[in-house]
Amino acid sequence: MRKELKLVAVLLLLAPLCFAQQTNQDALKVMKSDQASFTFTESQLGEDDDVTQNVIMVNSNNNVYTSNIGYLFSPMRFKYRAYGSRYNDVYFNGVNVNNAENGQFNYSTVGGMNDATRGQESVSPYESNMFGVPNLGGASNYNFRASNYAAGSKATLSGCNRNYVARAMFTHATGLMKNGWAFMGTVGYRWGKEGFSEGTFYNSLGYFLSAQKVFNDNHSLSFATWGNPSERSQQGASTDEAYWLANDRYYNPYWGYQNGKKRNSRVVNNYEPTALITWDYKINDKASLTTSLLGRYVMYSSTKLNYNNANNPAPDYWKNFPSYQYNVWEPGSEDNTEDALAGWWNSYNYWTASKANRQINWDNLYFANQQLNAQGADAAYYIQAKHNDHLTMNLSSTFNFEINKQSKFVGGVQLGTNKGMHYQTMEDMLGAKYLRNINTYAVGTYPASDPRVQYDLNNPNAYVQEGDKFGYDYDLNVQNAKLWAKYEAEEEGVRAFLAGQIGGTQMWRTGHMRHGMAANNSYGDSQKAYFLDGGVKMGSTFSLGHGNSITLGLGLESRAPRANVAFVAPEINNDFVDDLKCEQILSAELGYALNTQWVRANLTGYYACSRKGNEWQNFYFDDVNSFTYVSLSDVAKDYYGVELGIQLKLTSNFRINLIGSMSDAKYVENTNVKYMLSTEGETKSDVCYNKDMRESGTPLTVGSIGLSYNVNGWWLDLKGNYYDRIYLSYSPNRRYGSTMVTNGDIDNAGNYIVPEQAQGEGGFMLDASIGRQFNIGRGQKLGVNLMLTNVLNNTDMVSGGYEQSRSDYTTNSDGTKNDVRTYKFSHNPKKYYAQGINGMLNVTYRF
Amino acid sequence: MVAMATTLFATTSCMDGDWDAPDLTNPPYGNNTITVRKATTIAQLKKTYSSEIANKGYKLVTDDIQLKAIVTGNDIGGNLYKQISIQDETGDMIVGINASGLYPYMAVGQTIIINLKDLYIGGYGQQAQIGSLYNGGIGRMEQDVWKQHVRLVGAPKPELVVPVEFDPTWNMADYCGKYVKLTDVTIEGADGKAVLAPDDGSVSLTSNCANRNIKGLSKTNVVLRTSTYADFANMVIPSGKVDIYGIATRYNNTWQILMRSESDIVIK
Repeated sequence: MRKELKLVAVLLLLAPLCFAQQTNQDALKVMKSDQASFTFTESQLGEDDDVTQNVIMVNSNNNVYTSNIGYLFSPMRFKYRAYGSRYNDVYFNGVNVNNAENGQFNYSTVGGMNDATRGQESVSPYESNMFGVPNLGGASNYNFRASNYAAGSKATLSGCNRNYVARAMFTHATGLMKNGWAFMGTVGYRWGKEGFSEGTFYNSLGYFLSAQKVFNDNHSLSFATWGNPSERSQQGASTDEAYWLANDRYYNPYWGYQNGKKRNSRVVNNYEPTALITWDYKINDKASLTTSLLGRYVMYSSTKLNYNNANNPAPDYWKNFPSYQYNVWEPGSEDNTEDALAGWWNSYNYWTASKANRQINWDNLYFANQQLNAQGADAAYYIQAKHNDHLTMNLSSTFNFEINKQSKFVGGVQLGTNKGMHYQTMEDMLGAKYLRNINTYAVGTYPASDPRVQYDLNNPNAYVQEGDKFGYDYDLNVQNAKLWAKYEAEEEGVRAFLAGQIGGTQMWRTGHMRHGMAANNSYGDSQKAYFLDGGVKMGSTFSLGHGNSITLGLGLESRAPRANVAFVAPEINNDFVDDLKCEQILSAELGYALNTQWVRANLTGYYACSRKGNEWQNFYFDDVNSFTYVSLSDVAKDYYGVELGIQLKLTSNFRINLIGSMSDAKYVENTNVKYMLSTEGETKSDVCYNKDMRESGTPLTVGSIGLSYNVNGWWLDLKGNYYDRIYLSYSPNRRYGSTMVTNGDIDNAGNYIVPEQAQGEGGFMLDASIGRQFNIGRGQKLGVNLMLTNVLNNTDMVSGGYEQSRSDYTTNSDGTKNDVRTYKFSHNPKKYYAQGINGMLNVTYRF
Repeated sequence: MVAMATTLFATTSCMDGDWDAPDLTNPPYGNNTITVRKATTIAQLKKTYSSEIANKGYKLVTDDIQLKAIVTGNDIGGNLYKQISIQDETGDMIVGINASGLYPYMAVGQTIIINLKDLYIGGYGQQAQIGSLYNGGIGRMEQDVWKQHVRLVGAPKPELVVPVEFDPTWNMADYCGKYVKLTDVTIEGADGKAVLAPDDGSVSLTSNCANRNIKGLSKTNVVLRTSTYADFANMVIPSGKVDIYGIATRYNNTWQILMRSESDIVIK
C-alpha cells in the first residue's frame, strides 16, 4: 500500500510541470481552505465517537486568533476554549442541526463533501450574525443553496498516510442558469486498507445534491440531500507499558489475526441521509423570510468484542502485562520474589516474541465457543454492536428586517423533534450457538434463576441470534421550541447587538425491554420532564480610531439539560436524575484589536462559568465488581483564558502569524455523584472530589509561529506549534469519598488526599505546506498542494486518553480494602499519541 | 452521479465482511505435540504418590509419563475455582491451575492428555492433586505451564461423564475427586431465606466458601461446599429433598461436595 501511495505521489508531483505556470490568489485561498476542511471534517472530527467527540469548528473574519486556530492545532485535538462541542451551534440554511439529545453536531455527517461545505458563515461567541444567538463556543451556518456554488467542474485526487490513504472527489455546479434553476452535486470517496494505526481500515462515500429554483425576485425554493455511508475501524488507547512492549506508539489492541488476515473488533458503521428544503421569501427591499425544513435519519453502530463468564480477551488486559507479575513501581516490594521476576520475564518474552501474541487471538475465541456448543453452554465471546440511531425533524423560520441603514432586526423560531433509538444487537456469535439475553454482571449477586437477572422479563431467557437485539433497547425522545430575536445597530464608531432567546424542551424515555432490576419502571414511556430555558447576549465594538478598537461581549443563559445526561441509567430504567436543573451560564469577553496596513492583532480575555450542570458516564467499577452508571449533578465549572493573535504583513508576499492562548477549564467545586450498579439496580450517593480537575483531551496552552511566503505563484507555509498542559480524562470513582476512605487517602488532619489528574506530554510540532495553481488554458486550472504535519516526527506528544477506572487494591465483600495489587492502575493511564510525520498530497483539476 | 456513487460504494462496500470461522483442527489451546510415550493411570498415580497425598506432601514427577483422562468438572459456575476434576477408568483427581475462565477449554467430557513430567503430585487435605508448589505444599500451576503440559483430544463428549451414586462409606483415598450424585438428601440451614453461600457474615467461611451439612446419608461427614463467588452463591437453600450432582472432594476426613453449576441441584 505504501509503495502504491508513493507512486501516486510521484506521478501527481510531476504532472504540473507539463503545464504553463500562472497563478491565482483566490484559487490559493480556496486550496488553503481545502486544507482546513480536510483537517476538520476528515482527520479529526467525529472519528473517535467512543472517546470524546468534543471538537468544535470556530471561525471569525474579525479576529486573527479565532480565524487561525481552526485547523492550526488540530493534530493535537485542540478544543476552542476547552469547550465541549455542545457549546458550538451548527446551522444548515438557518436551521439548527445540533443533535437535540446530546447537543452535539457530528462533523462526520458532512465528511467527504468538502466542496459543498465551503460556503459557511462562522462567528465567534459574541459576533453578530443572521441566523441565531451564537453559542458559548461560536456558531456556523452552512449555505447549501445550489446557486451559492460557482459554475464549473472540479475533480480532486488525494493521497495521504493518515486514517485513510486515498481520496477522490468530483463536483459539478451549474450556477444560477437563465431559466432560474441551479444545480450542484458532489461525490467523494475515501479509502484506506490500513491507516497509520495498524489494523484499521477506512471506507467512506460522501454525496451531496442540491437543486434550487429561483421563481422571481421574491421567491426561491431550494432542495438539498446528502449522506455519507461510511465504515471504519478504530484504534484503541493503551498504556505506556503496552507501547513499550510493542515498540510502537500507535499499537492498536483492537485487532488480531483471523485466517491470516487482520480483523478489527471495533467497526463503526455510519450513514446519516438528510434532506433539506428551504424557501427564501423576499418580502420587500427591507424584509425577508427564510424557512427551512430538515429531516435526517442517523444510522450509527459501533461494534465491540465482549465476553460472558470468561476472561477478558483484550490483549492489553491488565493481567496480561509483565507489571502484573512484578511490582515495577516499588522494586523493593516484598511481593517481588524470584518467581515474580520470572513471571515478569515470561510475560515480557510472550509480548515481544511475535506480533500475534499482543493482538486478539480470534482462533482461541472461536475455539472456546465451539467447546461451549458441545456443553450446551452460552457463548463466552461475541461481537456486539451498540446502535445510536436518530430520527430528526427540524423547522426554522428567520425574519430579517432592515429598520434603517444603521439598525437591523432579525428574529426567528426553531422547532425540533428527535427520537434517539438506542439498542444493542448481536453482530457475530464467533461460532457459538447459544447466548441468553440475561444480565451476566448480576449473576452471582442473584442466581441465574432469579428474575432480576433478566434483561427483558417480557421475553425471559430468550436465545439471541445474530442480528437480534439484546441487553437494552430504548428510545430517548426530545421535543423543543425556541424563539429568538436580535437587534443590531451602528452609530459613531460603536457597533452593538443585543439578542435574546426563550425556549421549551420536553423529554421522555420509552423502554422496549422490561428490565429485571426495574420490572415496573422500564417498559413503556417514562414520565415527561419539561424545561423552560433562555438567555440574553450582547456584543459590541468600540472604535478608538487609527485602527484601534475594543470589543466587549456578555452572555447570560439558562440551558435545559440534555437528554443523554438526564437519566440515571437509561439502559435499565425510566428514572430521571434527581433534582434535574437547567445549567446556568454566565460568560464575558473583553478584547482589543489593532488593524493597520501592516499588522492585524487581537488580544482577548474571556471568562465563562457554568453552574448546576449535569454529566453522565458509565464504566466498570472494580471495587464493587459491577458495571456502573454515574450521574454528576450540580456541576460547577469555570473556563477562562487569554488569547493572542498577531498577523504581520512584512512585505506583499511575506507574512508572519503569531498565535497563542493560555487557558484553564476546570471544576471549581466537588460534585455530588449518584451511581447505579448493574448488579443491584439500586442508586448510591457519594461525593466526587473532582475540584480542580481539568477539561481533558486538549492542550490548555498553545503557541504558534507561522511564516507564509508567496513567490512566483507558489505559496509556502511553515508553522511551529507548541502544546502544553494536556490533561487526561479523570476517573470519577477514584475520587469518591468512599473510595479514598477504602484506600486510606486521608491525611492526619482527616483531609482527603485527592489523586492528581494524569497528564500527557506536550511538545513542539513543525508543520509545512506548499502549493500552487496552474492555468492550463481554456479556463482550466490545475492545483497541487502538499501538506506535511509533524515534520520533525515528534512521537512523544499525547493527544488524549483517560485514567483507568480501576483500583490499585482489591476489596472484601464488605467493601473494605483487602490486598494491594501488584499492577498499579494509578500509574497506567491509557493514552493516544499524536501521529508522527504525516502528509497529504492534493491535486485539483477545474474545468 | 447518484448512480455512479451508488455503484462505487456498492462495489467497494463492506471491508469488514463476513468472516469465515478459522480452521480449528489443531486446538489453539494446549500443546498439540504431546504424545503418549508411557501411559499411566490415576489409580497408579494415587498409589505411587500415596504417601505424599496422605501427608500434605508433594513430589516432582521425573518420569516421562502421560495420563489420558476426561474432564468431569470445571469453573463454569465459579464454584470449582482455579481447578478442574478429571477421571479415567481407574479413578479421579483434581488438577490445580492458576487461572479463571478455564471451562471453555476444559469442557466437561473433554478428553485430555497430561504430560506429567516436571509437574508435582501431592495432597491438599489429603485430596490427590496435580499442580505446582505453593507455600511448601501442592498448589496450582501457572496457566502457561498447564498449556505446555496438556493436549486436547477431539471434541468434548459430555455423555461420557456419568455420575456415580455417592456412598459416604467409600474409601476416601480411592474415591475422592469423583463425579457423584446424591439422591433424596436435604441441606441443613434451609429456612426459605438463607442462601447457599452468603458473604454477609451469617455463616462462617473457610477460603470464601460456606459448608452446609447434607442430611439423609448414612454418615454425617458430608457437606455441600459453595464459594461466595459462585454464580449460585445467593440461591435460596431448597427446604425439601433434593438431588445434588457434584465433585466429591475430601478435606481430610470430610466429604466436600462441589456443585459445578446451578443446574447441579434438582428440587424434588
